[in-house]
Amino acid sequence: MIPVGIEAMNVFGGIAYLDVEEMAEHRRLDTQRFENLMMKEKTVALPYEDPVTFGVNAAKPIVDALSEEEKNRIELLITCTESGIDFGKSMSTYIHDYLGLNRNCRLFELKNACYSGTAGFQMAVSFILSQTSPGAKALVVTSDLARFIMAEGGDALTEDWSFAEPSSGAGAVAILVSESPYVFQADVGANGYYGYEVMDTCRPAPDSEAGDSDLSLMSYLDCCEQSYAEYCKRVSGTDYRNTFHYLAFHTPFGGMIKGAHRSMMRKMTKADASETEEDFDRRVMPGLIYCQRVGNIMGGTVFLSLVSTIDNGIFDSPKRIGCFSYGSGCCSEFYSGVATPQGQKLQRGHEIEEQLNRRYRLSMYEYEDLLRGSGAVKFGTRNVKSDFDLIPGITLGHREKNDCFWKKSGNFIANTGGYDELRDDQSPL
Amino acid sequence: MKKKDIFEFVANHTRKVIPKLKNHTFQPEESLKDLGANSLDRSEILDMVMESLSLQIPRVKIFGAKNIGELVDILHESMPKE
Repeated sequence: MIPVGIEAMNVFGGIAYLDVEEMAEHRRLDTQRFENLMMKEKTVALPYEDPVTFGVNAAKPIVDALSEEEKNRIELLITCTESGIDFGKSMSTYIHDYLGLNRNCRLFELKNACYSGTAGFQMAVSFILSQTSPGAKALVVTSDLARFIMAEGGDALTEDWSFAEPSSGAGAVAILVSESPYVFQADVGANGYYGYEVMDTCRPAPDSEAGDSDLSLMSYLDCCEQSYAEYCKRVSGTDYRNTFHYLAFHTPFGGMIKGAHRSMMRKMTKADASETEEDFDRRVMPGLIYCQRVGNIMGGTVFLSLVSTIDNGIFDSPKRIGCFSYGSGCCSEFYSGVATPQGQKLQRGHEIEEQLNRRYRLSMYEYEDLLRGSGAVKFGTRNVKSDFDLIPGITLGHREKNDCFWKKSGNFIANTGGYDELRDDQSPL
Repeated sequence: MKKKDIFEFVANHTRKVIPKLKNHTFQPEESLKDLGANSLDRSEILDMVMESLSLQIPRVKIFGAKNIGELVDILHESMPKE
């Protein structure tokens, strides 16, 4: 069987963030409860950003690094999202256009809440393994953002909301899947999937989310166990403690992963509290570092954790990473793959940490202005004129001065001289 | 298994997870949330109770209890019939 997996992977974590500890103090959240969330920062999508801009910014550095010949072998582009901008037209068409890819390429979009990225990745892996087009590559782009707008006259800041707010982020992950899995070689056939109907969280209207966090947590934990049990049936000799050097989880917030890991360690290994704590720090924590700074990016969160694991883990030899993906509604999967020292070097070349460091820190005043809906673009709005001066601290000039991602990669926004030029005649947003 | 035995498991495991409740006398109409257990604490308490009862059913089947009494009722109904 041919090798398959991730040839290259890049994260785009936005241009602005909020320090959520500052937010917690401002909201006077219970300090202990806030600390249990294990969150530090979260990316905030600005009104002139959308899942297309996030997706292109994630994918462009990967595509730009390919030769023309390699680029033309991208024959499948899947966008994975629950933040789509149209019920019919797929975001993959815009992203395909901005990346200048070959037209002999399948373009479509798929969703299943936070499982979408894994669904897209596994479809891409299957396409490569099918060998119906030997040497082809597949590009999977996850892109999601949370855009909470306070309802007029409503009280959005209830207790439940106040604890969801620190973890809802925005971000995109681009994953190039091919027969050259330099960064992460998938363990073929080592997949435990598990899904059923449950109404834990959903997006029943374009600009709103609904759900029950308790039910979602229970469903997540059930799936964590059941998908792993299915994995074990398919891969003989699997041992939760020893088979995987690292574990990358779909991470709604850090504290939830701590709870899920504790539950799995108790059930699968009978480990005591101190062993579990040591195991968490060693095998799980490397994957939480970026998640704690970007927040939950839904479809791509498990890959954000995978990138974080590869960047921040110790890879002095090839090491196996177990990945758990969960999407409300629900579907889940436990799967694995191997990363090498060379792969880590390649992955670190994307400088994700530096990119996150270059984001603009929003003040609470600026953030709350956005939260009140300032500049917000409703689903389905046509011919938007974006207000780029909405947050005076963020300008193209500011980005250039700070040598940020745009200038460095010469990408999407900087190349076109302004987002509004793109949107006016090309996007229905 | 009688309901009062299941109630004792819930009370004892809650005391382990929330040490400040170690001297608390639990009442069926009290909710774990009001007693200070966050969602992760509640899931851990539930895990420990299910383990003590050797009960292997999906957690989502036990969802919906508004207080300890209702939780005990659901657990009791979920137990294999003797």
